[in-house]
Amino acid sequence: MKNLEYLVGDSKIYKDVSEPYNTNIINLLSDLSYELNNKKYYKSYSDIKTLSFFCRKANLLNLKKKSKNYDDQPRLGLGLVFHVTPSNIPTNFFYSLIFGLINGNSNIVKVPSKNFEQIDIICKVLNKLLLKKHKKIKNFIKIVRYSDNDDYTKNISSYCDARVIWGSDKTVENIRKFRLQPRSIELTFPDRYSMSLINSNEFVKLNTEKKKLLVNKFYNDTFIADQNACSSPQLILWTGNKIKKSKLLFWSLLSNLVEKKYDLSEMAAVEKYTELCKKIITDKNIKDFKNFSNNIFTTSLKKINSEVTAYRGKWGFFYEYETKNLNILNKISSKKIQTLTYFGVKKELLKAFMIKNKLSGIDRIVPIGQGLDINFFWDGYDINRVLTRVIDIK
Amino acid sequence: MMKNRIRNIEPYGIDSKQKKIFFCKEINLLTKHHYSNSYQYKNLLNFFKYNLNNMELENFPFLPTQIFKEIDLLSINKRNILKKMMSSGTSGSSPSRIYLDRDNAYNQIFVLAKIMSTILGKNRLPMLIVDNKTKNPTKISFNARIAAINGFSTFGKDHTYLLNDDESINFIQLTNFLKKFGNSPFFIFGFTSYIFKSIIEKFPKNKTFDFSKGILLHGGGWKKMEDKKIDNKSFKNLLKKKVNLSKIYNYYGLIEQTGSIFLECPLCSCFRTTAFSDILIRDKHFKVVQNGRKGLIQLFSLLPTSYPGHIVLTEDIGAIIDDNKCICSKSGKRFKVFGRSKKSELRGCSDTV
Repeated sequence: MKNLEYLVGDSKIYKDVSEPYNTNIINLLSDLSYELNNKKYYKSYSDIKTLSFFCRKANLLNLKKKSKNYDDQPRLGLGLVFHVTPSNIPTNFFYSLIFGLINGNSNIVKVPSKNFEQIDIICKVLNKLLLKKHKKIKNFIKIVRYSDNDDYTKNISSYCDARVIWGSDKTVENIRKFRLQPRSIELTFPDRYSMSLINSNEFVKLNTEKKKLLVNKFYNDTFIADQNACSSPQLILWTGNKIKKSKLLFWSLLSNLVEKKYDLSEMAAVEKYTELCKKIITDKNIKDFKNFSNNIFTTSLKKINSEVTAYRGKWGFFYEYETKNLNILNKISSKKIQTLTYFGVKKELLKAFMIKNKLSGIDRIVPIGQGLDINFFWDGYDINRVLTRVIDIK
Repeated sequence: MMKNRIRNIEPYGIDSKQKKIFFCKEINLLTKHHYSNSYQYKNLLNFFKYNLNNMELENFPFLPTQIFKEIDLLSINKRNILKKMMSSGTSGSSPSRIYLDRDNAYNQIFVLAKIMSTILGKNRLPMLIVDNKTKNPTKISFNARIAAINGFSTFGKDHTYLLNDDESINFIQLTNFLKKFGNSPFFIFGFTSYIFKSIIEKFPKNKTFDFSKGILLHGGGWKKMEDKKIDNKSFKNLLKKKVNLSKIYNYYGLIEQTGSIFLECPLCSCFRTTAFSDILIRDKHFKVVQNGRKGLIQLFSLLPTSYPGHIVLTEDIGAIIDDNKCICSKSGKRFKVFGRSKKSELRGCSDTV
């Protein structure tokens, strides 16, 4: 086949399945974790370290234990899972692979056409492990790279049992042109919108160290991926009575941190500034704005509703809204909203609110700092359930 | 709008102290003009809480050049638009759109003529255009290359186009041109990449064609040359070798500030500001950097009156040079341009390619 590169595996296609959390699979992933936890790799790539941490045996066994709580009916993988993964987060393809693999499926993973060294490193280690020690499960993993090859996408789509698509709404639309079999399922992870909720009363109570810690967590949720990950907050909802004071403190601390840790390029600074000018000139809903040394722009909105998801920033450009209580979530909720990270609000309160109000959106509500932590509940899917087949035995 | 007090000034004839006072005053007036005539500009300056009485060069508000790709900005009534100029938008982006009224268009030509006369003299010279003749250019809409050719053509006569429609070289036309005009000064104009891919790459060796009386003006940027590892110096050497051309002037200019271009000094190869223009270099925090340091180029021009483009922040990286004075002893700040700042690789999960 033209224009196709096999990074792991070859042209032969398999539909091997196993039970979820099969020992061989857990062992492969934990060996991979061990190999990747090597200074020569993670020195340059913190995302490799994060991946290695995720794949360690203790974590996988813990996840296994949690998944057992569902029911005691036997489960098996669906068959072949075809993954189309996003172009801009280098290690994302592997998390998608884990979704399929750990649930006992064979996988074909299409990685971005752009060359990322992280992908090469992971595939190299994987190939080494699959060659000898983990030969038994080599049919479960195929990683391919191609572009402009609709024939391949079409073929695999017509044969696979599940298709997983990450990317923009347009990507999802494009891939959806290629039909699946009647019994096949599809999981889509399209463009989403995320936000934060901060209770100013609780924020001002923190001592300086703890304030800094929270800001550091917020930094990890946003700047690690240039504020451009689906789970990175775009909008900050402030509640409580100390909003003015909190805002100034919070953004100043964050600006200092960005100054130290983040490499804002000149081009990014110009593009961010252009976006600001454009918004001020064209959007009457902008109330005012503050600039923290070009590291951070904050723009407050006069009104918000479900259209709020159009307010997106990059490289440290945040929208803000002040609100009395959680009811504002009723007004802005839509299917587009993925994650709400929070601080200073009780988990039980949020739980009760979500159930009572039956919001159409918001699939994740996690403390600030866990915005990018991927797990088997993602975008509203329970991955362990949807990527397995349950056999009802009575 | 532009008063005689400005028109009478010579491009390189004003000393730096005088210039500073005069220039800040004019930019202040121009900022007030746009503030009163463009509601969009006014809105922006109000948001920035800008003080209209400001007289410090570095405190004037600047628009990013990219904004002209996103929004139509006007300081005149739409009825008075004479022509619309468009940048040759890089792939994937929309082009800048600049709207001129009669006054603004006239001032551009007037100032450009003043600057050009410093290298061409007062008389119109026979002109060789290193490009092809555009078919049916729409009268009111121009892209940057056509706008440049049209603009500079005013300073030549007997216009001769070097290239055929398919960009091959019309050697017959060239031979005739040189036979007729080659023995006295003539004017050559073209985009840098066009000069390279025609004269340098396609002309026969051994100085078959003699351009020793030629005066070349070229611009448009070095991006395409970088891949071929051609810098200004080797560009000049190659032209000297190929056609015996030694009077070569690179220019730097933006479609947003057409007219007040920056010519290269033939002695030190730096660009130089004129009485009608100025420059600052800013870092990623938009703080003005010390002379000699690299950063984003901010440009001032006294010409834009029909659109608020008198102070813009570009995406180009440059540095002001003041280590030792150039022996040409002309006034103006000297600077170098190092090309477009690096495209930022955006992370995130927005797309699959």
